[in-house]
Order: sequence, then structure tokens, then C-alpha cells
Amino acid sequence: MEIKEFKVKWGMAIDLDKCTGCGACMVACQAENNLAPIADASNKIKVMNWLVVYELSNKKPFPEHDVAYLPRPCQQCGHPPCVSVCPVVATDKNEEGGIVSQIYPRCIGCRYCMAACPYHARYFNWLDPVWPEGMEKALTPDVSVRPRGVVEKCSFCHHRFMKAKDKAIAEGRDPEALADGDYVTSCAEACPNGAIVFGDLNNPDHQVYHLSRSKYASRLLERLHANTQVYYLSRREWVRRQLDNYLDNEKVKG
Amino acid sequence: MEKNYSLPADHDLFPDGAKRCSLMQFMAWMGIVGVVAAWGLYAAYKVLSTGLGVTALDDYFGFGLWITFDLAVIALGAGAFFTGLLRYILNIDPLKNIINLTVIVGFICYSGAMLILVLDVGQPVRAWFGYWHANVHSMLTEVIFCITCYLIVLIIEFIPLVFEQKQLDRIPVLHHIAHNLHVMMPLFAGVGAFLSTFHQGSLGGMYGVLFARPYVFRDGFFVWPWTFFLFVISAVGSGPVFTVLIATIMEKMTGRKLVSWEIKSLMGKIAGSMLFVYLIFKFLDTYGWIEHILPHAGLTFDQNFYGNIYGQWLLWAELGVCGVLPCIILLTPSLRNNPALFYSAALLDCIGITINRYVFTVQALAMPVMPFDSWETYAPNWAEWGSSALIIAYGAIVLSLSYRYLPVFPQEKKLNATKA
Amino acid sequence: MAVDRRGFLKFVAGVSAGVMVTPIPWKLLDDASIWTQNWPWIPSNVDGASTYVSTVSKLCPSCVGMKVRLVGDRPVRVLPDDNHPLSKGGISSLAVAEAQMLHSPARVKRPLKRAADGAYVAISWEEADALLAEKLAAAKGSLACVSGDETGSINDVLSAMTGKAGSSNFYLMPSEAQPAAKAVAAMGGEGQLGYDIENSDYVLAIGANILESWGTVIRNRAAFKATRPHGEEPAATFVFAGPVQNNTAAGADQWVPIKAGTEGAFALGIAHLLIKAGATADAADFSAFARLAGTFTPAKVAELTGVNEDQLKDVAKALLKARRPLVITGSEFGQGTGAASVLAGVAVNMLLGGLNRKGGLKLLPVAGPVVDGAMTRAEMLGKDFVAYMSRINAGKDKAPAAMVFYEANPAYALPQAAKMAEVLAKVPFKATFTTFLDETAMLCDLVLPVPMGLERLDDVATPYGSGQALYCLARPVAPMPAHVKPAGDYIIALAGKLGMDLGVGTWEEVLQAKARAMGADWDSLMDGNVHVSSSTVNAQPAFGAGMLQKGIATKAAEGDYAIAPVHKLNVGTAKTAIPPYNNKTIRRWELQGKELYVAMNGATARKLGVMKHDKIVVSNKSGSISARVNIFEGVMNDTVAVLMGLGHTAFDQFSKGKGENVMQLLTVGFESGTGLSVWNMAGATISKA
Repeated sequence: MEIKEFKVKWGMAIDLDKCTGCGACMVACQAENNLAPIADASNKIKVMNWLVVYELSNKKPFPEHDVAYLPRPCQQCGHPPCVSVCPVVATDKNEEGGIVSQIYPRCIGCRYCMAACPYHARYFNWLDPVWPEGMEKALTPDVSVRPRGVVEKCSFCHHRFMKAKDKAIAEGRDPEALADGDYVTSCAEACPNGAIVFGDLNNPDHQVYHLSRSKYASRLLERLHANTQVYYLSRREWVRRQLDNYLDNEKVKG
Repeated sequence: MEKNYSLPADHDLFPDGAKRCSLMQFMAWMGIVGVVAAWGLYAAYKVLSTGLGVTALDDYFGFGLWITFDLAVIALGAGAFFTGLLRYILNIDPLKNIINLTVIVGFICYSGAMLILVLDVGQPVRAWFGYWHANVHSMLTEVIFCITCYLIVLIIEFIPLVFEQKQLDRIPVLHHIAHNLHVMMPLFAGVGAFLSTFHQGSLGGMYGVLFARPYVFRDGFFVWPWTFFLFVISAVGSGPVFTVLIATIMEKMTGRKLVSWEIKSLMGKIAGSMLFVYLIFKFLDTYGWIEHILPHAGLTFDQNFYGNIYGQWLLWAELGVCGVLPCIILLTPSLRNNPALFYSAALLDCIGITINRYVFTVQALAMPVMPFDSWETYAPNWAEWGSSALIIAYGAIVLSLSYRYLPVFPQEKKLNATKA
Repeated sequence: MAVDRRGFLKFVAGVSAGVMVTPIPWKLLDDASIWTQNWPWIPSNVDGASTYVSTVSKLCPSCVGMKVRLVGDRPVRVLPDDNHPLSKGGISSLAVAEAQMLHSPARVKRPLKRAADGAYVAISWEEADALLAEKLAAAKGSLACVSGDETGSINDVLSAMTGKAGSSNFYLMPSEAQPAAKAVAAMGGEGQLGYDIENSDYVLAIGANILESWGTVIRNRAAFKATRPHGEEPAATFVFAGPVQNNTAAGADQWVPIKAGTEGAFALGIAHLLIKAGATADAADFSAFARLAGTFTPAKVAELTGVNEDQLKDVAKALLKARRPLVITGSEFGQGTGAASVLAGVAVNMLLGGLNRKGGLKLLPVAGPVVDGAMTRAEMLGKDFVAYMSRINAGKDKAPAAMVFYEANPAYALPQAAKMAEVLAKVPFKATFTTFLDETAMLCDLVLPVPMGLERLDDVATPYGSGQALYCLARPVAPMPAHVKPAGDYIIALAGKLGMDLGVGTWEEVLQAKARAMGADWDSLMDGNVHVSSSTVNAQPAFGAGMLQKGIATKAAEGDYAIAPVHKLNVGTAKTAIPPYNNKTIRRWELQGKELYVAMNGATARKLGVMKHDKIVVSNKSGSISARVNIFEGVMNDTVAVLMGLGHTAFDQFSKGKGENVMQLLTVGFESGTGLSVWNMAGATISKA
């Protein structure tokens, strides 16, 4: 399997033992990326959300029960199932940093990429976005508003990456060697528990470099070889076991 | 010319020597079909004006009834290219008696599929980006290329038949065009067979390459996953009998013999043989999937099924009742020549292929891949049913008009002469 | 020149071919990607220069500090503020949507008056002023005032106005601060309880939802974050005791299931074990307390609270082993608890030597009132609005002639909400200062729109739960809508009109006085800095054993099943309802369409004979709600967990009519000893619907 490698590889290390499922990351994401609110959000598989917090259960009855929450942004796969299938190159993994792009004006809305993604990171604009009157004034200028009929997904707040690079250039620093914290996503920034750490997976000066090598770190569905750039950490074995499919006789890593 | 008022008002337009119902009766039939079409048009209007939010599709089921419908009709429309291939390239002459119908059915299936796709893509205005910004690595690009090109081929194959209409044929230029196209037909049949094989395959490939969806993922040969070949063979294993079923329905509705039993039986035998080949590969493929792909993904066989809606019965129905059983009937002369058994087998064959396309489209998406995710279920709503019905109505209209005015069935005159 | 048919066709063909070789058609086609992206009905982004202003949230009960990003003069994002002690780089799920809530459809945009037919009509401020002044003057001291702001100096102004009108009926909406204040009073202490979570290595939260809603929660969570580096063993242990494996339990290292409302008994069970292990405290009534704690044997505590005895002993052992343990008692849903459970929690801290110790419990200084005739904070917290409403209901107190609400929504937020609304109906004239058209506004004769926290100058003084005394300002970062008025100046002017002298001329003077009282520097505050003081009140408090003994009396709840309200900030507060950007965060099996889901464990469901998605009715003498069943094994046996914050009958399309309000089921009782109203122990019967 060919894996796209880059000098800089943005990624996350999410500590599932620290996430308490409050949802601040989800709201921060919506506001940052100009997602439209919706009056009835109960059909969870038809509601636009770049970042979703899943609830994990150890499946034991009370009182042995344990719970964990798992925030799921786009995994920015090194070998993305979604990119090669797009008939019109509306999504690509081609830029230094390794973020899987989504080009809204290019997307024809065939949703093949959504079928390809096992993480359900991709969402379709089933209807035109509607903001309550006046709320469009709170749109950020950074992310264009998407019309109905196109697929979208988490971009690791790509506009923040651009800004950080611009800033580095203006300050005479190397934009390809941003310092840890120069560029963080909106969700990582918002999390009051510091559960999401963001940075360059290839840069030993960045925290995620080391966290991704922790014995407690693994990625979602590793055995499918999508080679994701989001690492999940947990000291709990049952949690790690739910990060991939294991046959009964197989041992979980870590 | 003296008027014969016992004949329908539009009898001058009928093929030579063909008897047709009265114009009133025909209009009544068109009216019924028209009501269905109007409902479908309303659904299509809602989809285009409001957005795909009016359908029951969601972010888990980005593909649903429409894609299943498309894949099924494209598979069943394969009678066109395969019969063309046998008739024009391999020179199996008796097939000339059904070739026109296969072309029309193929045309309906493909143009209908295209119409559905216009609704299904979120940005139909950008649909041509498939050419403009093509990603040559995508199976879907191949599908877009081949389907559009093949539809053009089907139109070219359909044109001579239209021009052979009694009145049109009198116009010299049309007559000559039709004639010349006829001469070139083996070329188009060849091109059609090539394009068709590829996109049938690509449709299967579309699923087989989804390496992060263990339910449909298949390794394969060179760049093609096994599903590439399975989809081609299963299409030719069902398309011919689908044409036969259409012909038979038309016979029942019109009360006239249109295609001789020998031809139908021959089509059945062809389909049966291809179905046999398909089943061998399909069983091997299923075995490989269970023994290889699933364990590699950390999954067990049972994890691929859920409740009744996505239960194992679908697999056994597809492979057994709608696979092995029709195959045996179609390949055993004594059974095949029993019309009741023959038509049942043909129907089961078509159902089996439709189940295959359905589970690859819908069940694959219903199944959770992340261990903490859940099975989701999907049922199409009125907007999807309506627009699918529109396509069926559209097919009925094209077939009815073709039957009434075009010389579709070369055997019709002979077969019905004995009755008179 | 005559053009024949052939010539015309040639011309058309020529033009067509000619156009095709120009870039025009291809360019137009290619532009399809642009114009299919920019339909006129899709809002477009408006660019502008970005600026960032530090302020504090008046909307979120966590009083989280935040940095507001403005583009031009439009606030577009609320971001965490690394420098604010109540943010420390985090933001709450509620405050983070505050910029968007400026444009909430539920906002009141101009003064409204209820007409005779019950409909609301927009009126001018002049008309509103006249009406309010007339009614308040006519009330002649038969006035009550209720504030939903727990930390602001607006309470000085409101209580002063109420007092000068000749009434003592100024109330704060119920919270955890009142029982805590009662507890401090019972101990003979003074100041406000503060919790030094940052410096503790073992935090035992008994009931207190410290990682989701309790106290200054974002700061609590910053402490939680600091003690657990990714993928490493935590430097501090967090333990949560409560009936539901809520968000706090999800983060905690250990969940100790105990029944709702038995926090005090659990704490006394710990105290019992600590004393047995030799713990003592230098307090006058230690022996009385030890006698009381002596009766709370593990077996008895297990029976009362449903706790596993071994788990109880383990926790006690771990507390003894910890260097700087801290025990926090509270209510899972931030209200309704009695003083006794706070006393019991404080007692455990005292036994652990945790009073005014680093990483322990502190007594924080409180600034005095800065407006003439205003109540002290202790006086305000001593007032019990629910008890007052109950007295009116029982006829023991007369309904006031006028009631004024300030950012309070008692019609939704009080226990037995429907009953409370009935009592409110007995008040002839009601006016509310509010941002949103909430349930209470829908009962009022006059609705006066006030700006949101982002649009006004306001303050926050040492919120309950904070580990240190602090003071900061909310500064107006967004332009105020045309027809809203800030309440501070408005009420000062109103008081003047009514002939009261509050001793202040403007709202800003009040805040400056408060800043002085807190020892803060005004200019620094106006720059967005936070005044923090590490001082504590020196005291040698007693255990308050007598009061504790009376209050701790454990009563059995009505019905066979216990109700455990679950509080999550993302669902919003009584004042905000569900913010438009937040309903996506409500979990799938918490709410579907208009239907509420309640959670119970499998054993309880089997006992009831219900399955997931089944419809049930949960009822008691206070009310009843219908819901569907969700199975969640993180709920105690015979307990049903109900999400708070749903069932709004006012606000907008994002909140109205969704689910049911659990407050309907919470029955008010009174704690013996303190007489404090309590509602943390609701029981119910459950039947299939």
C-alpha cells in the first residue's frame, strides 16, 4: 500500500482518559468552520458535524460498567480510502502537512468518498445551510460557506495552518518548521481537559511526536491500513481494544 | 388510398403487417403510465429544487435505493451489449430476432440510470467535471466515461431502428443513414461490448476497492478487484433473461407472439451458462472473503449480518434460491423448456443479481466498521421510490411507443400469421 | 442582401463553430464551479480585521474567562483565555457558542407589554419606564426581587432597591452557594468556601459534578488536565461518588455509586473510618461530631447510600494516604442540596487537616456591599426563594404586589416548576429584565430586554467553587442592539425616579466601588486582567455537629425508583435554554425529536419489564413526565437518570417543546435545623405507557 509521506505531518494525540464528553470541541468546531445550526439535530446520521464525540462502553453491567468518550475528527489518513475514489479530484492528499483537502467548488456530490470512509468523517449538505436571521453576522471570514449538494469534512482547521505559515513568513521563520502550538485546531484549543494535543507527528520538538509513540497510543482501525494521523491514548485496555476490530483470540497492543 | 375505419387512427405508422390496439386503448395505457410518471416528476422536482434532504438518504447511507436501482438496471440492461456481442461478433444468427429489443431495453436502462444519477449527485450542474477534472484512479471516473460513451453507442444502435419506422423509412436520407449504420453495427457492437464490459466491471470495482469497508473489499487481479469480474459476469448471466422477461410481459400485455420459444430458450441457455461461470467465481470469492479478508480485518462472518433486515438470509437467497436454483433450471434442457420453470428461473436470476447489488450498496454501508459504532438501517422514502417509478414509467413509455410504431420484432408477423 | 435558408444555416453553423473555438463557452462552463457555490441565498463571509478582547462569560455558570475574536466590530468566536484563572486555556461548551447566541432567535429585541388578551406587544422604553415606575410605586414595599446572577454587583443594586422600597424580599436563584453559606454559618465561620483543587493530589467529589458543571468548572478541569499528562499515570486521583456515571465519573479514576441525595451520609461514613483510624480535629465540638460519625458505620452507610462497603473503606484509606486530599460535596445537578451534606464534607476535610491548607478547603474573604442599603453576600445567600414561594403557596406569606426578575427564570428552573408558575400567577404585577424570551418572561406583564454579557459592562466576584478570591470585569465587546438597555444604570435611574437614594450615580461607579472593595485595580481590570487574592479568612470553625445531626436525618424518597437529574452544560441553563449551536451535542439517546429519553441500567429495566425505546411514565406527587427508555449501565439500580435542561415551553425552535423538564418531578422538602428548602432526593413510580 502506498502511503503519502510528508516532511511535516499534522496529527493529533487524543487522550481518551481525559475526555469527559462535554462537547465543547464540537461546538467550537461548528463556530470556527461556519457550520449551520439545525433546529432538530436528533437524526445523528443526517446532521452535519465535522467532529463527533462517540460514547464507548465496556459493555459490562452495573456496577462494573465503565464509559469513555471518543472525539472523532477526520483522521487525515496517510492512505486515505476517500481520495482515490473521488472521480473529480475534489479531495486530495497532496499538500505538505498531510491534511486531506476538500474542494467544495469541485465536489459533484456523488458521495462515493462517504461510502469509502469507515470513520464516517464525511458529511453531505443534504439541504442548503440556514442561519437564524442575523446569525450569519457571526460567520468567520476564514471558511467559505458550503451550499447544498457537496461533501465536507474536518480540515484540521486548515485556514489556521495558512495563518500560522503566513505569520512565520512575516516573522522571518521557516513556515515548514512551525513551533509546537503555532498552529492548533479549534477543537484542541477549546478542550478544557486538554484531551486533544495537536502538532507535527514528524517533529521531535512537538509533543504529538512523542505521544504517538506511547505504548498506550494506537489509531482507529489500524489493520485496515488507512494509516491515520490521529492517535488515541488510553491506559485502559478495554478502551484500546475498541479502537480496532479484534478476533477473540487476538491480544490488544499496549 | 381508401380509408379503413376499422383500423386504429394511427395505423399508417405501424410496422408492416402488424396489428395494434386502438389508439384510444393505447392512450388509456399511456395515461396510466403517465400518472406514475407525473408522481415521479414531482418527486424529481422536489429533489432538485429543495435538495437531497427530501430523501431518506443520510450520511451513513450516501448510496441507497437509487444506486441499487442503477446498478440493477445496468446489470439487467447488459442483455444489450452481450447479445450484440454474440450476434454481431460471434455471429450467433438467431439472436437477430431479439437484438432490437435488447437494444431498446439497454437504452432504457442506461438512459434511466443517467436520469437517476442527475438526481443522485448533489451538484448535477457539475456532473461533467468527471471529464473536466477526471481522476483516473477512481473507478467511478471509469464508470462515468464508459456509461456516457456506451449510452451514445446505444443511441447509435437505436437510431436505425427508429429510422426504419414505415413513414420515416420513406425519406431517402434517413433510409440511407439507417442502412449504413446497419452495415457498421458490428463495429458499434464491438465498441459497446468493450465499454460495457469495462463499466460493468468498474461498477463492481467501485466497491471492491473500498479497502476500509471489509464487507465489500476484495483483493484481485492487477488493478481490478474480484468484484470487477464478478459484476461483469453476473450482468451477462442475468441481462439476457431480463430481456426475455420483458418480451414475455409485452406478449402477455399485447396478446401477440413476439419472440419464438427457441430464441427465448437460447437466451436462457446463454444466461444460464454465464450464471454458472459466475457462481463458481462467486462461491470462490465468498470463501476467500470469509477466510481471508474478514479475519484480516479482525472480523468474523457473523459480524457482517444484523437482524432480519441485513440477515444471512439475504446471502443464502442470493446464492442459493436466486443463484444455484435458476442456474440448474436454465442449464437443464428438460427444465428449461417448461415455460413456468423457465420464467421462474429467469425471474429468480434477476432477483439474485438485484440482491447482490443491494447488499453491496446498502448492507455494506449499514455495517459498522468502528467497533463502537452501531448498525444503521435504511428504508427509501417516497421521493426515492417516486423518482425510481418515473424511470420505470419512462421505460414503459419508450417500449410501448417502440412496439407500436417500430419494427422491433422480426418474427412477429410469422408467429402471429398461424393464429389468424 | 437577401439571406436564403441555406445561407442562414451556414451563418449559424459558422458562428457556432467560431464561438466554440473561443474560450467563452469553456470559461462559462468552468465557472459552473463558482456559481454553483455562490447561490444568492447562501450567506457569504465578510472579511475584516481580527481583534481579540479578553473578558468573562456572564452567560455560563462557570464564569469562564474567554477571549472574544472580533472581525471588524462583529464577535465571531469565543476562544479560551490562557491568562484567565477561570479558563486556563479551556472554554465551556456553553460559552463557546456565546458569540452566535448574540443572534439567537429567542432574544428579546425591544420592551414588551402583555396586553389584556395575553398577547405581547412591543412598546417604547418611555412607556415601559412609566409602567414600571407606576407599578413599583403602587406596590409600596410589597415587592420581591429575584436575581439569576450569582456573582455580579447587580445584586447590590437590586437588593438595595428592594430594601429601600421597604422589602426584605430579595432573592438569588437557588444554587450550591446557599447551603454552603448556611454550613459556614452553622460552623461559626465566615467567608466563602473555596476549593483548592489545583494543589490537591486526591480529589473526592461527593455528588459534586466537578468536571462538568459544579462551581468554576473550567478551572476545575484545568486542574484535572494539569495533573494528568497524556498517556502517563496521573499525578492526582479524582474520585466521584454519585448515582450516575456522568461526565465527571467518565474523567475520574474511580466512580463510587451512591444514591442521589445521600452525599452527607457517605461523607459521614468516611469520617467514621477516618476517626477510627485516629483522625482528629481541633474544634470545639469534635467529640459531639465523633459521636455522630460513630453511628455511621460502613454497614449503615452502605444501607443508606447503596455504596459498596469495600469501596467506601478503600476511599477512606486513600484519603489518609494522600498528601493533600480534598473533599467536595455538592449536588449532581447544582442545586437542591441541604447544608448538612456540606457540613459533612467540610468535616471530612477538617479531619484530614485540610482547612485553609494548600490543596484543601479554604475560607475566602468576601467583599462587602457597595451600594447604600444593599444586602451583604451572606444575607443574600441566607434568603431562600423556594421557601418564600412555598410560604406564599401555603398562605403563610402574602404574595407581593410586584415581583421583579433579573436574568432569572424561576418558572422553568425551580423544583415543582408547574406549581411555582401557579404561585407566580398570584403576583399581580411581574416584570423581568432578560435577554431571552424565557418561560418567566412569558408570565410577566412587562419584559425589559437587557444586553448580553458580551454587550455590557458587568462583573464577576469570586464564584462559588473558586479556590481563591477573584474579581474581574465583563467588558462590552459587541455593539448593543438598538432597543436594549443595560440593567445596572436603568435600575439606578429607576430607583432615583422612585425617590430612593442608592448612593451611586452610575453602574460604573458601582463596579469601581466593588473593585476597590475587592482590592483590585480598576485600570488593570479594564485591560482585561483578573484580580486574584490568595488571602483566606482566619477562623477556627466548629463542626456544626448539632446542625449536622438534625439535617442529616435521612428520609426515604417517595416511590420505588430514585430520580437522578443529570446536569450537562452543553444543554444550556434555565437562562439560555439550548443554544442553537449546541443541540448537535445532545446525545442520540437523550432526545429524539420531541421525545425525552431517560436512562436506567439493564437490571432496573428488567425489573420494570421494559426495553430500550419503550415508552414509560415517571411520576410522583409533584408531577409526571413521559419518556422513552435508554439502557445505560452507568446508572445505579432502581434509579432513572434524567437529563436536565429540556422541556422548555418558551425560547425558540432550538429548545421549545423538546423533551420534558425534570424539575417537574423534584419535590421540595425542608431540612430540619436550617429550614433550608431541599429537593435532591426525588423518588417516583414508573409505569409503562
